[in-house]
Amino acid sequence: MSSMDVQDFIQQNRAVAEQVENYRGYWESDKHWEPRREFILRNLNDFEDSQLDHLLSLSMVWANNVFLGCRYSTELLEKVKEMAEGIVVEDAPVFKTRDEIVKKQQGR
Amino acid sequence: MGSLWSCETLQDAPEIFDINRKRNDCLPEMGVPAFFRWLSRKYPSIIVHCVEEKGKECNGVRIPVDTTKPNPNEVEFDNLYLDMNGIIHPCTHPEDKPAPKNEDEMMVAIFEYIDRLFNIVRPRRVLYMAIDGVAPRAKMNQQRSRRFRASKEGVELVEEKSRVREEVIQKGGYLPPEEIKERFDSNCITPGTEFMDNLAHCLRYYVAERLTNDPGWKNIVVFLSDASVPGEGEHKIMDFIRRQRAQPNHDPNTHHCLCGADADLIMLGLATHEPNFTIIREEFKPNKPRPCGLCGQTGHEIKDCQGMPREKQGQHDEFANTMPSAEQEFIFIRLCVLREYLARELTMASLPFPFDFERSVDDWVFMCFFVGNDFLPHLPSLEIREGAIDRLVRIYKDVVHKTGGYLTQNGYVNLERVEMIMQAVGVAEDNIFKKRKEDEENFKRRNKEKRKRMKAEQQGPAYLTTGQFAPHALGRRDRPEAVQNARHQACDMRMQSNMSAAQSLKAMMKNGGNSSAGPSDSADSRGVKRKADDSDSEPEPEDNVRLWEEGWKQRYYKNKFDVDATDEDFRRKVVQSYVEGLCWVLRYYYQGCASWKWYFPFHYAPFASDFKDIKDMFSDFEKDTKPFKPLEQLMGVFPAASGNFLPPTWRNLMSSPDSSIIDFYPDDFAIDLNGKKYAWQGVALLPFVDERRLRAALADVYPDLTPEEKRRNSLGSDVLFLGKSHPLFDFIHELYRTESNEDTEIPAELCHGIQGRLNLDDDPILPDNTVRSPVPMLRDISQNTAIGVKFKDPQYPDGFVFKAVLLPGAKIPSKVLKPEDWVRGNGQSWRPQLGFNPNRQQAHLDQSGFRALGHNLNRSQQGGGQYSSTPPPSSYNQGGYRPSHSGGHQSFQHSRQNSLMGAPPSFHQPQFPRQQQQQQQHYDRRRDDWHDRGDNRGQHHQGYSSGRGYPLPPPSRRYNWN
Repeated sequence: MSSMDVQDFIQQNRAVAEQVENYRGYWESDKHWEPRREFILRNLNDFEDSQLDHLLSLSMVWANNVFLGCRYSTELLEKVKEMAEGIVVEDAPVFKTRDEIVKKQQGR
Repeated sequence: MGSLWSCETLQDAPEIFDINRKRNDCLPEMGVPAFFRWLSRKYPSIIVHCVEEKGKECNGVRIPVDTTKPNPNEVEFDNLYLDMNGIIHPCTHPEDKPAPKNEDEMMVAIFEYIDRLFNIVRPRRVLYMAIDGVAPRAKMNQQRSRRFRASKEGVELVEEKSRVREEVIQKGGYLPPEEIKERFDSNCITPGTEFMDNLAHCLRYYVAERLTNDPGWKNIVVFLSDASVPGEGEHKIMDFIRRQRAQPNHDPNTHHCLCGADADLIMLGLATHEPNFTIIREEFKPNKPRPCGLCGQTGHEIKDCQGMPREKQGQHDEFANTMPSAEQEFIFIRLCVLREYLARELTMASLPFPFDFERSVDDWVFMCFFVGNDFLPHLPSLEIREGAIDRLVRIYKDVVHKTGGYLTQNGYVNLERVEMIMQAVGVAEDNIFKKRKEDEENFKRRNKEKRKRMKAEQQGPAYLTTGQFAPHALGRRDRPEAVQNARHQACDMRMQSNMSAAQSLKAMMKNGGNSSAGPSDSADSRGVKRKADDSDSEPEPEDNVRLWEEGWKQRYYKNKFDVDATDEDFRRKVVQSYVEGLCWVLRYYYQGCASWKWYFPFHYAPFASDFKDIKDMFSDFEKDTKPFKPLEQLMGVFPAASGNFLPPTWRNLMSSPDSSIIDFYPDDFAIDLNGKKYAWQGVALLPFVDERRLRAALADVYPDLTPEEKRRNSLGSDVLFLGKSHPLFDFIHELYRTESNEDTEIPAELCHGIQGRLNLDDDPILPDNTVRSPVPMLRDISQNTAIGVKFKDPQYPDGFVFKAVLLPGAKIPSKVLKPEDWVRGNGQSWRPQLGFNPNRQQAHLDQSGFRALGHNLNRSQQGGGQYSSTPPPSSYNQGGYRPSHSGGHQSFQHSRQNSLMGAPPSFHQPQFPRQQQQQQQHYDRRRDDWHDRGDNRGQHHQGYSSGRGYPLPPPSRRYNWN
């Protein structure tokens, strides 16, 4: 699903799109929300209604990793990366995690 | 006001970059050294040292202090409030002494600490103990970040210890055997844990014990608000005070004393508008030596530990290298004196509206929030150490003619006026950032030069004459002899330096030009690579924002929020949230928690200049919001590594990849150093908790709670305790006898006008019922005479507004500061005041006393006292004479072992009378100086306590803020 497809999908599924819009975090800029929305829409069909929160959680794991610099277990990260395949994020920010900073400072 | 203010900064104190000082400066819930330091430097007279009477010991029998006696601080307090978390942290994981071995010892340490405070303050009416309950959502981000960090730091500490231990032992060093104890995870000091539950239980026992046995407790009412009652400790205390003073029976001249180290207590105290309000806290001593975590000796950090010098043989060898540690002393902060200072600073003449000091205090408190608080990141342009508060006050007074009124009223904000202040700050923003950069550069340069100088001093000069030309120290007995054969000697010296120059040249060629040239160090530095110039400097944080360069705003938003400068909507969202935040925080201080749900959903603040058209950005908060339940909050603030405090299925949600809230619990997270140097100073970029999803996930695991966990997760009540001689005792006893199960109002006349509703406790402490001791080393109370009952603060209708005013009948305490127009001999009487009592008896010295004093204090000072010109015989000091104040702080040897077993703490021989006397001595001496310097007295607004124009104070018993 390219970004064009996302637009098409939203046009054709107004109700779903509106529902998904509710899941936007107040702090999310367009740049952060649009890829996450794509993540949700791409995988929506693989999750039943009762599992929706799990999908949302995975979308956050992915977004937190890409936009906030959070690390999760390898298993989890691989899973969300797989789910996010094809989503293009341009100019993603770069971070140093706490462990990296501490390790570097200890190494002095 | 937590982490934002507590991390120290560049210009102020270079030593703060010592990474190991972090726990001193950023101890959870402890600290705002920056604000407190600023305040006590600017307003020194607010500080009064506590006089603490110590218990005596006679033939091995401890005699507890009789706290029914008048307070030795020459003031009587009515109510003592304890913000318990400030006590629990140092008692469970102390910085400056070995940690307690187990939970029982922790409890006893807490009891002793309360005893100490009780002895110093000696409240006559109320003791209120408040433990942090579940906090408002607004605080959760900060709590989360502290706990995620604490958990990692704890693990790293253990790793470092075992690594260094191995190294030391491999090198043949000796270390005391590792104690088999579980690492105390300070994260358990969070409402809802078993530890907090035990603590509440232990405190009930403690209160019953003291009410039964300690005569000083006989007539007081004790309130215990444990972790099961929602709200932060200090805010529960504020709620109590607010709700008492809004009812007609409140005594407007109640003297309040609040214990805690948080700087926001000062704001809270001011916000009450009670005229008699004093804070008590531990004396803040920076650079206090802390024992190494491995060997317990001071003077080095774990990573430099060499082990113990020898094996333990004698009984007390382990103390061979430990410095006797002085017991932490306490200070009072007198808010009535702060109010005097503020009155001077804030009073404005010829206003278009009548000046009201109380309102201006509220505005001052409000402006302090811009600089930092627990709920909002501080504005990037306002740094306390850069004089941000002074700047704000200046702007406030400049703009007041435009605003036409105060910024706040009763905790409600006038946004239109706030915008004018913000815009005025915004105008200066550009320059502030440039100036900051300049200062940083200057600081770095000075530091570099200093290092260079130090190095040079160590190495000595590059060239030294030798032989008979060698430099001699002045003033030696042997007189210089006449120079002989000067030319020959000079030639020798020349040859020598040529030789070494040649040598170093050779060395340089051998090393590819890397060796440092210069003859002096050639011999020993041959082949040693010269280090890079800055090798011993601190790591440089990279800074992509460069606030001092054109385009800073765009870069800030791009780097911190990852949005483009063009995204005006996003920027307004941030500003709006911040505006809401300012309103929320002020309301929280003046009216109580307006919304348990509101929080600031970003990691950074906007710029002051971004506050445009904010008037309509906020109307009101969502009503009737509810706090989290304790276990829910634990899920919101703990990392997965602290999951052991939660039931298995709950903790599973923190680690299972299939959890629907797994995103809340990253294993590692980014830290934005934000111009700082160490991880603990930076901003932790943790994701925000989605409340809806959290609740939904927990709904599934709620059925798994055991009855015990259900109890811990439920809402508790404040409890009131008192002893049998209290006038209210019979009334409460009667409630239990008649099993009256409805709310009963306290008859105001029985309890100093304190109001509230009583309700029977489910598991009450009752007279003649044995109270079992929860701590094995303490005895059961078989003859209990205390009684406990549930207590509820007075209730007020929805929409009630607590007035931020002085109450009718409130008497303002007499002034302490020197009147600004004071000139000696103009008829106004004034004299400096050290303690609470303006009429304190002064000690006097006769001539010989002055001589002794002058001798000991004055030798390094020029023209000090009138007797200092007579040098005493040099044998004086060798004859075993030790001046009583020679060693800085007296060490009180507080024996933990002794006091563990019994109720009253044991302190060794009291030393305070002597110290008190010393204080008087300084005082008199300084007054003496004063008389001598009558000519320039007019310039010293602050009198002697500012120290300006007078000789430096002697080292002991003085407040040292560096």
